[in-house]
Amino acid sequence: MTAATFELRGLTAAVPGETGAVRLVEEVSLSVSAGETLAVVGESGSGKTVTFTSALGLLPKPGRVIEGQALYNGTDLLSLAPESLRRVRGAQIGMVFQDPLTGLNPVFRVGDQIAEVLRAHLSIGRREARERAVQLLARVQIPDPARRVHDYPHQFSGGMRQRVLIAMAIALGPRVLIADEPTTALDVTVQAQILDLLSELREEEGMAMVLITHDLGVVARQADRIAVMYSGRVVETGRVDEVFRAPRHPYTISLFRSIPDLDAPAGTMLAPIAGAPPDPQRRPSGCAFAPRCFAAREADGCMSRRPLLTDEGHAVACHRQGMLEQAA
Amino acid sequence: MSATVDDIEIREEAAQRRRAAIRRYAKHPGFVIGACGILVLLVVALLAPWLAPHSPTRTDLMNTLAPPSATYWLGTDQFGRDVLSRLIYGAQVSLQVGFFVVLISLSAGTILGAVAGYAGGWVERALVAAIDILLAFPSFLLALALVAARGNTLDSIIVAVAIAYTPRVAAVMRSVVLTIRPRPFIEASRAIGLSPWKIILRHIIPNALPPVIVVATVSAATAILAEAGLSFLGLGVQPPTPTWGNVIAEGQTSITTNPLISLSAGLCIAFTVIVLNLLGDGLRDTLDPQMRRNTGKLL
Amino acid sequence: MLFYVARCAAQLAVALVGIVTVAFFLMRAIPGDPAIYMLGDYATTESLAALRARLGLDLPVWQQYGMFLASAARGDLGASVVTGQSALAEIWSAVPPSAELAVAGMAIAIAFGVPLGIVAAVRQGTFVDVAVMALALGGISFPVFWLGLVAILVLSHDMGLFPALGATSEPGLWPAIHHLALPALVLGLSVAAYIARLTRSAMLEVLGQDHIRVARAMGVPERRIVWHLALRNAAIPILAVIGVTFAWSLGNAILVEAVFSRPGLGSTILKAILARDYQLVQAGVLVLAAAVVLLNTLLDLVYGAIDPRLRKA
Repeated sequence: MTAATFELRGLTAAVPGETGAVRLVEEVSLSVSAGETLAVVGESGSGKTVTFTSALGLLPKPGRVIEGQALYNGTDLLSLAPESLRRVRGAQIGMVFQDPLTGLNPVFRVGDQIAEVLRAHLSIGRREARERAVQLLARVQIPDPARRVHDYPHQFSGGMRQRVLIAMAIALGPRVLIADEPTTALDVTVQAQILDLLSELREEEGMAMVLITHDLGVVARQADRIAVMYSGRVVETGRVDEVFRAPRHPYTISLFRSIPDLDAPAGTMLAPIAGAPPDPQRRPSGCAFAPRCFAAREADGCMSRRPLLTDEGHAVACHRQGMLEQAA
Repeated sequence: MSATVDDIEIREEAAQRRRAAIRRYAKHPGFVIGACGILVLLVVALLAPWLAPHSPTRTDLMNTLAPPSATYWLGTDQFGRDVLSRLIYGAQVSLQVGFFVVLISLSAGTILGAVAGYAGGWVERALVAAIDILLAFPSFLLALALVAARGNTLDSIIVAVAIAYTPRVAAVMRSVVLTIRPRPFIEASRAIGLSPWKIILRHIIPNALPPVIVVATVSAATAILAEAGLSFLGLGVQPPTPTWGNVIAEGQTSITTNPLISLSAGLCIAFTVIVLNLLGDGLRDTLDPQMRRNTGKLL
Repeated sequence: MLFYVARCAAQLAVALVGIVTVAFFLMRAIPGDPAIYMLGDYATTESLAALRARLGLDLPVWQQYGMFLASAARGDLGASVVTGQSALAEIWSAVPPSAELAVAGMAIAIAFGVPLGIVAAVRQGTFVDVAVMALALGGISFPVFWLGLVAILVLSHDMGLFPALGATSEPGLWPAIHHLALPALVLGLSVAAYIARLTRSAMLEVLGQDHIRVARAMGVPERRIVWHLALRNAAIPILAVIGVTFAWSLGNAILVEAVFSRPGLGSTILKAILARDYQLVQAGVLVLAAAVVLLNTLLDLVYGAIDPRLRKA
């Protein structure tokens, strides 16, 4: 494996709470290399988005990173001065967000918004920025780009707006693209088009891509590796084929059971996971998943000790590993 | 009926919520200062006869425009009346105006705004157009014209200021109702056949109450400023009855020699308005973050 | 855009008819007989009847309203009872000094209020924010006439920087500005406090929106985000605030004119009120309301220029 383009090491971010810091994400370690797609999976509130916004210094106040590193080509972004970090954001690392309907500024023409990004990083004139904006709209397959560049966001459909946002994200040829649930807010028919566009761009540009999603089908089609997050922690990570063939963490196993499988025999019941993820303020002292886990057992320390991620290719954070493997 | 375990749990939970709310208020410095300030003003106004060292209207012609002394803490005005006593009694007029104007303009404004916001259609359009047109008239000017026409007794001042400021309250209330209207329980009440008036009275107005309380504090502040302005122009409650506004106006003639008269009366007004605004801001921050948007626009 | 302008114009027409209507019924809603007010309690029956006939008060209300509307459309708002001259002409002659005060005051208010509100929003929760908001709270809480008195006392009487009178008959631009400065500053700063508070909340709302997060993620510099991207979004609520405060500042201007003994609409209307010259009061109230309506129409046009979504609908 080549050196990672983008790597998080032990990232912990918190907001101040009534009784001390509330840790939104804890000790998250992830990496992604050029040409590779890492899928980050988990329920809402599991810390997927916070992980990456805090890595880029975008966590809204009063939240802040209290530990860990975010390495881009070996440089820790969190140790950079704000201005240097700004030069990395958008230029070296692009980001696409969940909701294209609110992601564009309603009172500016889309061409001007793309130009704004270009001119934030390059010393080019208005005219050149406008010309490049047209090329970028063409690049994300928006028909009639020379005319559309003058339109306002409300004149675009949701899928088209997401294409504009992707154009902004790739405008400066970033080496890393972080896509945060880029299709969740879109019609099902449009979702596939956007995902195809993203993987095409990733291949052509040789970018490293992080795809945040909760759709395991998308993971199977698009991703090389997967990281499963639960309550602010990575609980399982590995190559997609390995994890899909033999999930090890009870949470991952439950996730697979909760989605419909066309190949399953008719009449097989779906098994939704009972309960809800814990509030970060009141995380249990042991494994955060223990209260909902089908395999949790006090004797193994599930209720008292926090399980750590094992240090191997297909890693998992679970006290009951041995038992689960034997059962499988 | 004996309390079941469930009942006790529910009651305890409610008590816990109350305690948490009280903690939240206690932690908001603005709210605490505002609430204490209002309390002080109420006490001063109610106990004025006992607190004031002198009669507010007794003239001491041997001691006109006296500087502060042990007898007259803030000195005397050009008729030799004790300034401190006049300020203490002045609180009565200001607080009465604040209270009754809010009572009238809020009742009228809330009903108008709630009906407009709830009814929708042409009723809403007509009411909104009427409110907009009334908003074009500077409220203070409206109050001025009404007072001039109706005479300057305390009652007519209260009515005039209330009428002048009702359109603003109605406009705010409508925007509040617009955010309540789409909520599911309104839909549900409509589905089970509750009459529109019952829905407005039972659901819309109670749910709009937190913003109404905020609007009330801010309107009281505005009303007190308006009354002070009227008094200053000589159109308020007439001397010798003391109001903060007419104390400032009377002090104006001797402002270069005895600035304390006008200055202290102005500070009384400002203190009242500041504590009301602090209370309003505190309530707004604590009650519901979402309503910032609704009440922030016109007040 | 053309359609949008046409709609604004239509709204303006409706609003103008509306304010004329309100002014008419407001004066009719006043208890008592205007003729008695105007002539005093000892007027003879004949003179009262004559005045009623002259004012059209003996006609049914709807007919009076129709006549009033028709003459208002011709720019005739009746005659001053005291001087017998056209009420509108009399009011009109008081407009220039008031317009100077209002424009100068609003300019000061915007120049201070908008930037301070933005800075407070950007530095939310810091010392700067708390300081600006405390100042603004003071500004909306002190009565404007009292601020005027204090300004006269300190800046004029003690320090001698400005004249205490808000107007002068001396010719030339400099004396006029010198006399206008203090009233404009007092009016402007009291309105600035209000604008600062509302600008801050408008800006905070915009800064919390998704597209600002996107701009940050794209590495757009913070200065550019605040003063270009977010400001254009916040412009409509800020302008709306300016529209609302304009009506309010006209009310305050009456008090400021009184404190600084400055001629203008305020003192004209005040004098008319004291003289029970209702025709003149009515004309004055109408002119001020018309100014507010006109400004709001102008603002509506600006909103359309700023936000493309408004033009479409």
